[in-house]
Amino acid sequence: MNPFIKTVGLSYKYEDADVNDSPVLSDLSLEINEGEFVAVLGHNGSGKSTFAKLLNLILAPSSGEIYLEGKLVDANNISEQELLELRKSVGMVFQNPDNQLVATIVEDDVAFGPENLGIPSKEIRERVDAALRDVGMLEYAKHEPHRLSGGQKQRVAIAGIIAMMPKCIIFDESTAMLDPVGRKEVMNSIVRLNREKGITVIMITHYMEEAALADRIIVLDDGRMLLDGTPSYVFEHEDMLKECGLNVPQGTELIHKLITEGHLERQIGECVTLEQCADIIANALKKDN
Amino acid sequence: MSEIILENVSYYHGKDTPYEIKALDNINISIPHGKITGLIGHTGSGKSTLVQMFNGLLKPYEGRVLIDGTDIWSEPKKISAVRFRVGLVMQYPEYQLFEETIYKDIAFGPKNMGLSEDEIKIRVEEAADFVGFDKVLLDRSPFDLSGGQKRRAAIAGIIAMRPDVLVLDEPAAGLDPRGRDAIFNNIVEYQRQSGSTVVIVSHSMEDMARLCDNLIVMASGKIFMSGTRAEVFGEADKLTDVGLDVPQITRLMNMLEQRGVSVEKGIYTVDGAYNYLVNNLFKQENK
Repeated sequence: MNPFIKTVGLSYKYEDADVNDSPVLSDLSLEINEGEFVAVLGHNGSGKSTFAKLLNLILAPSSGEIYLEGKLVDANNISEQELLELRKSVGMVFQNPDNQLVATIVEDDVAFGPENLGIPSKEIRERVDAALRDVGMLEYAKHEPHRLSGGQKQRVAIAGIIAMMPKCIIFDESTAMLDPVGRKEVMNSIVRLNREKGITVIMITHYMEEAALADRIIVLDDGRMLLDGTPSYVFEHEDMLKECGLNVPQGTELIHKLITEGHLERQIGECVTLEQCADIIANALKKDN
Repeated sequence: MSEIILENVSYYHGKDTPYEIKALDNINISIPHGKITGLIGHTGSGKSTLVQMFNGLLKPYEGRVLIDGTDIWSEPKKISAVRFRVGLVMQYPEYQLFEETIYKDIAFGPKNMGLSEDEIKIRVEEAADFVGFDKVLLDRSPFDLSGGQKRRAAIAGIIAMRPDVLVLDEPAAGLDPRGRDAIFNNIVEYQRQSGSTVVIVSHSMEDMARLCDNLIVMASGKIFMSGTRAEVFGEADKLTDVGLDVPQITRLMNMLEQRGVSVEKGIYTVDGAYNYLVNNLFKQENK
């Protein structure tokens, strides 16, 4: 089976960039399978948003290829129809909840995408209701978007994407502007869409606790792939992450420190979630006594 | 000295309309001089309304706001002097940059204070230094900068007024871990060198745990809790009850307690947790 997304030597450089400027993204080759939940980490300017924008052709690559379900996406030679198909299968949710809603009523906003796809109105009704239910916002269908909280607005934005029935959704720092409650609401929705509906998720984030929920983490540094693996594998490289301006969750940091100073054995299993960390420490203490 | 005291302060949004909401409900607090105080609370708890009391952007319907014992509203015409003394950096301040160049933008506050061109130049450069803003970029348009640089420039615009009290609403929101560290280190350095009073509003409990001497927790327009960070984070259950987080490490310590490990309350940093575990629990194995 073909991977859902495959990139080969993907590079991007701004057109007006100096000859000496290094590219924003250079020589990125990777495969993402259908149904995967991938988090993309990197500091500001590491190329992660550029990567996301290349995947649904908001930007066209300077060199390299993108294959979607085995088919080459040729940015320079793409028809309107093909572009529409692409955007339909790869949706995107952005950072600022206030910049993404267009209608004055929640359900009209969610209907905006499918309407533009020319879906019959009866089916639109069904899709809108289902999408709002998926993000837990059905009871707000008749509300005005500007009166909602940030987390609720982002969930409406997500519903608007779901209503187009994409196979993949890219979240570009979609929780960055939210408070802790809003972040939790949106993260729960993202995890559910992946686990229950099998939607492929590519999530760009600065929050290590959020990345820890993914199946796989890709770390970009200055436009290049630095690490690619499970959260457990990636967080093992604490020094490397810190060097490129990132960190690991606090629980993981504590366990690493206990290992480095010889208080814990090296082979102790995964320490990604706080529960895992608590188990490791509690078990080590039991052994001591 | 620059201690802020609020006495029985209440404030309503949409007062005397059908939509009247009591945003602040009989607030009594004091923000100590020369310390970093953190303000926590979730969206709609009244935090932003409260910080706008500090520099007279909003006037309380009831109660008094005192700076060093003087009611800031005793002479309403002189309220602009309070705004020079208490600098407020709003959320996403980079959206408020409006001048042709960054230099002019940072100079806007000092200019309104009526300072000379020479003095303004000194202030702008000093402020740019404080926030780690690259001086080569001072003549650029705000539109040519990255988000992180714009944020620094906006904060510099307030620091250039050399306020006695610096209030920052979510200064690191949306920045990556390195950007957050840089901004916060600059703020701590500013506080240390100027001896000013600093108030930080943030949702990140990890950052609050690292930076603040004291914490004030708001819920539904009231002061829900206040004290040192150890006191506040020692009451994790109460914070969770009002929908607030505690630092990850505090959560981890609570999980250890649930697993039968005896732990101290109010541990809120990785180093704190490490030291506690090594000195009190892991030590036994080496005996």
